[in-house]
Amino acid sequence: MTVNALFQFAASFFGTIAFSVIFFVPREHYLGCGIIGGLGWLFYWWMTTFLELSYLPGTFFAAALVVVLSRICGVMFKCPATIFLSSGIFPLVPGVGIYRTVYYMIIGEMDQSSVYGRRTIGTAIAIVLGIIFVFEIPQQGIARIARLAEKGRRKKQ
Amino acid sequence: MDSYNRRVLDLAMGAGKILLQSGAEIFRVEETIRRISKHYGVENSNAFVFSNGIFLTGQDQMGEMYAYVKHIPISGTQLNKVDAVNRLSREIEQGLELEKAEKKLRHIKTMPGKKPLTLVLASGLGAGCFCYTIGGMLGDCLASILAGGLVGFYQILMGKRKHSTSKLALNLLGAFFATALSLLFYRMKIGFDYRAITVGAIMPMLPGVSFVTSIRELANGDYLAGTIRLLDTLLVTAGIAMGVGLFYILYYELTGGYML
Repeated sequence: MTVNALFQFAASFFGTIAFSVIFFVPREHYLGCGIIGGLGWLFYWWMTTFLELSYLPGTFFAAALVVVLSRICGVMFKCPATIFLSSGIFPLVPGVGIYRTVYYMIIGEMDQSSVYGRRTIGTAIAIVLGIIFVFEIPQQGIARIARLAEKGRRKKQ
Repeated sequence: MDSYNRRVLDLAMGAGKILLQSGAEIFRVEETIRRISKHYGVENSNAFVFSNGIFLTGQDQMGEMYAYVKHIPISGTQLNKVDAVNRLSREIEQGLELEKAEKKLRHIKTMPGKKPLTLVLASGLGAGCFCYTIGGMLGDCLASILAGGLVGFYQILMGKRKHSTSKLALNLLGAFFATALSLLFYRMKIGFDYRAITVGAIMPMLPGVSFVTSIRELANGDYLAGTIRLLDTLLVTAGIAMGVGLFYILYYELTGGYML
């Protein structure tokens, strides 16, 4: 399990970094983007595989985690949270869902297609809710968490 | 209006233009323009920002007006410029002189992009990694890296065209191409799960940034900009879906009913 989790994390870590290169994220933030994307996906994977949650709450909580982390990083590095969010959310984007919806539509299995179509839209809505709710947390709250994180980092050094 | 105020508003407009072009949210553009003009002493400035244009008016103490309307077509996401302008506006608030700010803005405007090879490699790596997360094996990832890299190359080629290509056509063709390549690599026995390969290969085309930005605009109450971006997201996604579908239908017809 640990090895598998490690591989899942590594794959989404490097995948997110690759996408942050495509979106021209400044070089010094690659690591942050990668960690956020990796943790978001790992959280989703852990929740759906081990807690056996369905994809809806899984996506919602993972998206919320990604947004919280992006906002904290935004405060810590004094830059817009969008920089981390845009690429960090990528592992959760329902690419497979879109593919399956079209695929089953073409081979004529409309039932399957509509199942996956609803699933794709559901995933997208879960991401939307995750983003909206976390952005409702006031900036001071996020700044406080960021300060705590900063303190912890300094203590370690 | 004297030349000082004009220069301030030009600077604010320049900063707003770069932000909007690089894919920043509306509220960020409006706030940056307001902050810059306020810091340099132009109290009466009003910015109205669209997703593809900025209207800016300012008034000095003598009551003279300054107005500026600029059309700004949406181009690719460049988060480094958003970050740089954001930092500049922070520095201005801490007391950067106008001349230095203008110089810095000119510098940001000409910030170099990434090399095409880097982008191709990044597309490939992204495709391969996400192929793994959805359950692909090592061979599938390799096939996905190849297909994703070629899709990235295709996107750069199309971006260089003088004639701007319609987004729907661009993504439809791209997805068609990606599916064809995935099938090719599957038939070459590089990978064994054509589904994972294809999904990985279309990953670099998915409109993740537009999607996130559109939600944030809608949540902020910028309904117009949010709707435009959401429409953009849906159109791109529909194009990708149709491209994949079109290839399968063609394949089905050409092979006489052989379905994957």
